Amino acid sequence: MSEQKELITDDNIARVKDLLVCLEKGNEMDAIEIIDELTSIRETELYQDMGKLTRELHDAISNFGIDDSISLMAEKSIPDARERLNYVISKTDEAANKTLEAVEESIPVCSELSQQASELHNSWEQFTRRELSADQFRALSKDITGFFDKTKGLIGVKDNLTEVLLAQEYQDLTGQIIKKVINLVEEVENKLVGLIKLTGAPQVSSKEDDSASSLDGPPVPSIQHKDTVSGQDEVDDLLSSLGF
Amino acid sequence: MKILVVDDFSTMRRIIKNLLRDLGFNNTSEADDGLTALPMLKSGNFDLLVTDWNMPGMQGIDLLKEVRADENLKSLPVLMVTAEQKKEQIVEAAQAGVNGYIVKPFTALILKEKLEKIFERIG
Repeated sequence: MSEQKELITDDNIARVKDLLVCLEKGNEMDAIEIIDELTSIRETELYQDMGKLTRELHDAISNFGIDDSISLMAEKSIPDARERLNYVISKTDEAANKTLEAVEESIPVCSELSQQASELHNSWEQFTRRELSADQFRALSKDITGFFDKTKGLIGVKDNLTEVLLAQEYQDLTGQIIKKVINLVEEVENKLVGLIKLTGAPQVSSKEDDSASSLDGPPVPSIQHKDTVSGQDEVDDLLSSLGF
Repeated sequence: MKILVVDDFSTMRRIIKNLLRDLGFNNTSEADDGLTALPMLKSGNFDLLVTDWNMPGMQGIDLLKEVRADENLKSLPVLMVTAEQKKEQIVEAAQAGVNGYIVKPFTALILKEKLEKIFERIG
């Protein structure tokens, strides 16, 4: 508010006295003129205040940037980000399943081959020590042929390994998408800080959510959590301190 | 040895099943949260429960409490495999009667050790 102009001045007292005289004399024209003069004192103050408030409001709005950017964020960028993150989930899910499939297919082939190889190794050593009979040797040579047949399965294992290799492309794609979302989060953060400053709310230091019932999910190295363990060793220590 | 693996992520269930198979446990079943797991446990003659904590429906800790409160299931060994690392939560699980607590990410060796420890203790 602009400073209140002093009301009780000799000028104003004189004006009011004149006004009284005019009214008593029935001099309407002069009386109206004096009343106008008196009200204008008030009005100029009012207009000045209004003007100042309008200017402040205008500045605040333009500083805050209620241009297109914030509504664009709410209408487009944030729903977009949600879609992007959902896509990240489906991409990582796809990659994990592809990898698991390839691994699950390959493990039995590998274990069978390694099992057979160690059996053949034993038989071969017996052979070199001349401990095998002719019949046993025939069986061994049959086993070796069978083993060579089985090794054809290794082509499948190699293909599966290539599948696993290719499945890792998700890291590049999802990395790029997540970076975009991080940029958006940063932008939203800046706008929110602006909004808080505009409303004049004091910036309180963030309170930590200490409720035991809330689950933190996977720990993130750069984010400090109170009263957490880091790693299996600390879990084991904690449990053994409880008599486990 | 019949084992029930409970996790809301199918990939994690698959990983655990594969690791268990590697350790010689071939008879495994899966459930995606406590609500589906509990009726399976009640009718299935399982020898071990491996469960995540944070799941929709019924969480792992509540499943553990249900198991301990059930006359037929109360002595079933329960191994928790979870990303939750708050001390309070580990203590809560211990008090609820968990037999082992593994934090993710974990290794095949840790799973093996914890299983051995559980079976050693129950003899």
